[in-house]
Amino acid sequence: MAGFTTRAIHAKYLKRDSHNSLHFPVYDSVSFEFDSAEDIEKAFLGQKPSHMYSRITNPTVENFEQKVKIITNGFAVVALSSGMAAIANLIFTVASRGDNIITTKYLFGNTYSLFEKTLKPWGLDIIYTNLTQAEKVESIINSKTRIIFFETITNPQLEIVDIKTLAWIAKKNNILLIADTTITPPYLFDSGKFGVDIEVLSSTKYISGGATSVGGLIIDNGSYDWNAIPKLNIDAKEYGPFTLVTKLKREVLRNLGACLSPHNAYLQSVGLETLPLRADKSCSNTLEIAKFLENQSSVKRVNYPGLESSKYYDVAKIQFPKGAGALLTFELGSKKECFKFMNQLKIIRRATNLNDNKTLIIHPASTLFCEYPGKLKKEMGVTEEMIRLAVGIEDIKDIINDIKQALEALR
Amino acid sequence: MKIKVNGKIKEFEKSVNIQELLSQNKVERPETVSVQLNGRFVKKEDFQTTFVKENDELDFLYFMGGGRA
Repeated sequence: MAGFTTRAIHAKYLKRDSHNSLHFPVYDSVSFEFDSAEDIEKAFLGQKPSHMYSRITNPTVENFEQKVKIITNGFAVVALSSGMAAIANLIFTVASRGDNIITTKYLFGNTYSLFEKTLKPWGLDIIYTNLTQAEKVESIINSKTRIIFFETITNPQLEIVDIKTLAWIAKKNNILLIADTTITPPYLFDSGKFGVDIEVLSSTKYISGGATSVGGLIIDNGSYDWNAIPKLNIDAKEYGPFTLVTKLKREVLRNLGACLSPHNAYLQSVGLETLPLRADKSCSNTLEIAKFLENQSSVKRVNYPGLESSKYYDVAKIQFPKGAGALLTFELGSKKECFKFMNQLKIIRRATNLNDNKTLIIHPASTLFCEYPGKLKKEMGVTEEMIRLAVGIEDIKDIINDIKQALEALR
Repeated sequence: MKIKVNGKIKEFEKSVNIQELLSQNKVERPETVSVQLNGRFVKKEDFQTTFVKENDELDFLYFMGGGRA
């Protein structure tokens, strides 16, 4: 099989372009016409592979999905308008009122908000535990548990679970294992190899090619028997392994309308082609910066799973052999020092995002987690002294020099 | 040999495998089609080794979207 980058660049179109365009064009059209009433009926019955309406399917979006399918060897791929839309649509598809999800409080702030403020009142029970302790996970599973949800590297705590153990527990109990792989997208992490059933991620990050557009992905590895979920029993009999993708495309995604725009699908298809180059560079930059920060007296603590001092170093090497992502955190003396340091930076941008081409910095406690009280922030592993650095692909000496001059200003 | 394809009776001179059937029926974009033989899904890797027989029911389906829920 060809390598990841070759597959990303040379993925075949599902239908030959009428002008032999080397980049799949942007089909900015809402609707697609048919030659006959019989054809449109066949399309609606799923007997003809035709696009009908861009909220449901679109050629440019489908081409992006196909590219992701080819590079991941996934069973089915669905692209959506954002990473949050991917998580929400997926949960609405598989879980019902009264069901529960097992997860951790070490989550991206908006995902925690989705669980607590949106899904809990809707009737879903969210059980938080320490996912790094397998026995705890197994002890709280009950007949209403549908999902174990985790982030491959949590943001911003940078905790890493032993994924094969979690997969073993999920499989043994017929529970769906969902991984948010935003920090370690395909190329950095092979979710199927580690027993993850469904991968969700924000393609806004690495895949968009430098923060060009917002998007999300659901990748079904084809490993889960959908008969195990009561809500999907009837669909599973009719659609078999295609249950999730069918339920999404013919019901949940169609009805909620979180479709990826054709323009964004185009940008993300182009971004996908350079993903390995950017991931390699940003991961190696992150490791160098982390090593530099470890040797600075004004830095109290550095957290990066690629550092030998990290308690997750060994598991990161196994699960993410090409690099432990491009996110690190470090702590200064106080919130005031963090702000002073951030305001002194000349190249690094003060912004919220990650896996941009640019290096971005943020103070999580006062921004991403500002809506949560102090005690909860502490439980979520977010301190007032913590700074999050999302490392880009610039020349490493320039970024280190920028950090150096900002640290000197603290003295 | 008569078999039912997407609800319509079709006649074939000899036993054919699913791969040949897709080709003979000029099924569009065969790489994206899913196949149900007598209500059971057939894996893509089994298309060449799965042969249809008299009175079988075969359905070609695309999971692209549409109006059915």
